[in-house]
Amino acid sequence: MSTAKEKKYAKRMRNQPSSVNLDPNDGPSPRGGRGFHQPYRGSNPGSSNQQQRGGKGEEGSSESQPIPKYVTATVFAEARAAEIKAMLKAVSQKSSNTLVFQSLPRHMRRRAMGHTIKRLPRRLREMAKKEMEKTVHQKKEQSKSKCRKARRRHGNLQLEFNRRQKKTIWLETHIWHTKRYHMLKKWGYNLADRPTMKSYRACYRAMSNHCLLQDLSYYCCVELLGKEEDLLRALARLCNVDTGPTFMAAPCISGKRQGSLVLYRADKYPGEALGHVTFIWKPRSVSETADDKRQLWMWMHPALKEGVLKELRLVCVCEDKPDNFVCVPEPAPTPPKEEPPASVIVTGRKRKWRSKGEKAVPVKKIIGDGTRPIPDPYYWTSTQTGITIRDLTMEIVRYRLVGPMSNCVLSDALHVAPLHKETEDSGPHSWWADYCRDPDNVLRHGNQESLFKLLKGLDTPAMIPSGTVLGLTVGDPRLNLPNKRTKSYPNPESYEDRDKVKSITQAGVPMECTQSLIWSSQVRSHVTDKKVSEQEINKLKSELLVPGSKLELGNKESKIPILLIQQPGKITGNGRIGWGSGWDICLPKGWGMAFWIPLIYRGVRVGGLQQGLQHYQYMGAPYVPGDFPDTPAGVQSALEAKANLLEKYTRRPPAKRTNFIKHGVLSPFHCPWDQLTREWEMLEAIGKEPPKDELQIEKTGEDPLDEEKRTEPSPAEEKTLEEESAGGERDFSVLRSKKILKILSAAVSPVPQRSKKPSQSHPEELSRILGPVLKDFPRSLAWVRLSMMTKGSPELHSMICIPSEEDYLQLQKDKSFQGPVETKHGDHFKNKVLKQKKERKKEKKNRKTKPNGDKNDKVEEASGGDDLTLGVWPSPLPEVTSHCSRKLLGYVTHGDFSLAVGFGEALGFVSVTGLAHMLPFQPPDKTGLVLIRNPTSFQYRFAKLTIEV
Amino acid sequence: MAEQTSLGDGPPSHRRRPAPRPPRGPNDIYVNTKTDFRAQLSRCRRLLESGEQKELRVHGLGLAIGRAINLALQLQLALPDTLLLSASTSTVELTDDMEPEGGEDGEPGTRNRNNSAIHIRVYRAHEE
Repeated sequence: MSTAKEKKYAKRMRNQPSSVNLDPNDGPSPRGGRGFHQPYRGSNPGSSNQQQRGGKGEEGSSESQPIPKYVTATVFAEARAAEIKAMLKAVSQKSSNTLVFQSLPRHMRRRAMGHTIKRLPRRLREMAKKEMEKTVHQKKEQSKSKCRKARRRHGNLQLEFNRRQKKTIWLETHIWHTKRYHMLKKWGYNLADRPTMKSYRACYRAMSNHCLLQDLSYYCCVELLGKEEDLLRALARLCNVDTGPTFMAAPCISGKRQGSLVLYRADKYPGEALGHVTFIWKPRSVSETADDKRQLWMWMHPALKEGVLKELRLVCVCEDKPDNFVCVPEPAPTPPKEEPPASVIVTGRKRKWRSKGEKAVPVKKIIGDGTRPIPDPYYWTSTQTGITIRDLTMEIVRYRLVGPMSNCVLSDALHVAPLHKETEDSGPHSWWADYCRDPDNVLRHGNQESLFKLLKGLDTPAMIPSGTVLGLTVGDPRLNLPNKRTKSYPNPESYEDRDKVKSITQAGVPMECTQSLIWSSQVRSHVTDKKVSEQEINKLKSELLVPGSKLELGNKESKIPILLIQQPGKITGNGRIGWGSGWDICLPKGWGMAFWIPLIYRGVRVGGLQQGLQHYQYMGAPYVPGDFPDTPAGVQSALEAKANLLEKYTRRPPAKRTNFIKHGVLSPFHCPWDQLTREWEMLEAIGKEPPKDELQIEKTGEDPLDEEKRTEPSPAEEKTLEEESAGGERDFSVLRSKKILKILSAAVSPVPQRSKKPSQSHPEELSRILGPVLKDFPRSLAWVRLSMMTKGSPELHSMICIPSEEDYLQLQKDKSFQGPVETKHGDHFKNKVLKQKKERKKEKKNRKTKPNGDKNDKVEEASGGDDLTLGVWPSPLPEVTSHCSRKLLGYVTHGDFSLAVGFGEALGFVSVTGLAHMLPFQPPDKTGLVLIRNPTSFQYRFAKLTIEV
Repeated sequence: MAEQTSLGDGPPSHRRRPAPRPPRGPNDIYVNTKTDFRAQLSRCRRLLESGEQKELRVHGLGLAIGRAINLALQLQLALPDTLLLSASTSTVELTDDMEPEGGEDGEPGTRNRNNSAIHIRVYRAHEE
């Protein structure tokens, strides 16, 4: 301890002038201010006394020492001179390693002091100059060939933006987001993660009371074109009816509803899932016959795109060679600033830079066909089936509005496009003129308009059938922008048409109203090309005779075909049905910001990826891609998350981290699903006998029957085990069959104590029901929701465990029983880690070429070649299920304090086999009770497990 | 909004939609069965005692009717001789989604149910 103190002292005194040095071991002098006179004590004790009198004569304590009779002037002056010198030195030399301007008191600091020396007080400038020079050398040479004003000029800025978009794709709202959000590079995009302002709770409130807006344009759209039966035949191989309605579900195929399902590799169900997609069919037009080609849009997360596209090509028998190799004959690689006309916004902007010899003002880059790097294929046709697959990534902008007021926001922000007037000049929008010539179309447009107006009369979007699609053509939303940001609220007057509203809530949108011109690529590109720029709109607005009045453009007003898709919100479980419902808007590319700002002006709050996650969490829905552990994208995201968490963990000093080994947590940064399911399968296969015996003890009746049933599945299971071991690794899968999930859901819900009768047959019935399930899916996981019984908030990767008999008993006795506590585990890796560390140090010292000591070889191998980290179990984990005092059932993938219910809630996966093992031993009124333990805690806490279908 | 307690079983193929939610002012109290009764009561009392609201409208749907009545009566008890109640009842139309079981061809229908609701006006006596 003393050495540390000395070191600290030495460090503090490092820059102190030697003459005023204080000897720490010197006995405390009777007077204050010993720092001053001590130096003289050695050399001239006499003068020191005099000085005391001179300096602090008034103090009464000087009586202890005699007052000197005289002062020698020379000695006194010398001493003072030395003192002044020391002080000067101390002032001129700063003692800490802070910069000069940092040593100034707060009230003297000025903005940008670090950069502009002139802002410092004059006395410090000299030092600051030296410092600046030093840092300039350290800094990388920043190429600032142009001054800031030049750099910020529109053309140059656009060039810079286009350059920065080469590596990652920017969404159209990127610049808006970068000013307000923490950005994240993910899946090849630059996405907004979370707002820079504190708004966790505010975003939740927006979702449940008003409206939250998200930019989902990074979702990929894949278009399939082909005959209906061909498409259905091909797609049927990718999905299964067990998991819910598929592509051919009646409401979806008519185009009235959006469908959603989980795709699997061709004919591989229930294994090898690909991921969750949503889809919409283009509604059949009246003239269409069955032979005509149909159009299908599939929306998916960018992490899944590659896998899904590959599988789609396989089932549609498309060649791997993309068609655009053929149809684009050797185009010269165009630099991204020179856009092909398809994606250029033609504007009448000022071109004052042209005279300077620059070419043209670079146009804003709109991602899509034009800017796609040439080698990237996006268009495939099958010669056999005639199906065309087209990758429409970034062709369509998609926004999501979540919350009960999203109806209101939409109907305030958008207005239905006015019909084309023949009397005026035709304007640039010829497609709209053509469309309006057909009376059928006009009628349909009128219907759509009246439907859209009805939306305002709805209380929440959840009131209409889930997944309803509404096509619409709207006018330019920038024209009726309010002057100030307002918050839209429902207007009570629009509640008159209850009958019409009733018809829409029950029957949904009629077929013809789902038609939209956004399905046609020509119209889309036309709309994108003919967009009037922001600048022009503002110019026209400024020229209005009455400032602030509405701009009337007549036929020149842009018309944008859009698609509104209802999102049903929370549809599973019991509580808060319809929470988080909202609308998705699909727009043609290029129009992103033109719709974004009007939406913002209606008082919505904007969320990033984190808010999307929160939305899914409160809905109890699995989030793509993290909550699909059986998909390649899910595995990838888990790996990334693990690396991130480990990196964050190792950044902390070892003494300040949780030692997860001591906590008995084997995998604090990931969930070893594979190992978990495999172990449970083995446990069930081996441990068939003991549970049966226990059962016999429990109930003596119906034994032979029970035995039969219990023994029946086991040989089969062993067989499957053998098959597996023979056939190599078969991965686990997530149970998504609705039927089985419903059975499980009923099984885990507790039986009320009053009804004694069903509870008696409960375990036996369970085994009868679950037997075949386990036989079919011995290694499967089930998506569960957990709500804490008492306190505690579960975290990411918390462990879901099976309570033991005594836990139930204790809970029975004491209602407020918190839960058992895990005992501390020993960390026998600590010594190895320390030894390794020491050895490495020695190696470094000796500059040996030999990589490692003999003793560490084993450890090195065990940890898969990489370093051992203190507190984390190295790579081959021991048995995860029985490592702790309670048996492990599964892991939490999302856990948080729920603002909706007021206590901790979690979502996660449990092993179905483990669940079936647990249920028969639970008291009937405590069915579905599990324990949850956070990785950073020893305390188990009770939670209620539910399976929501 | 009054949430119905889950029936759990029953025909498994229907799903409830949230009950209609007319626009509400600050003095509309929708009583549910989940929130702590004392919290609801204290919320109402706070509204009344702050003097901002001259009257409260307490709404209850289905199972929450009893609670709504209880709430109104408790309010009256808490502030004796100053509060008057006037109750009215109505019928609320609820919608259920019917899900086609298993088959792909079924058109998902909807079903209408009616449920009773109560609306209690709680207002100060001297203002009449």
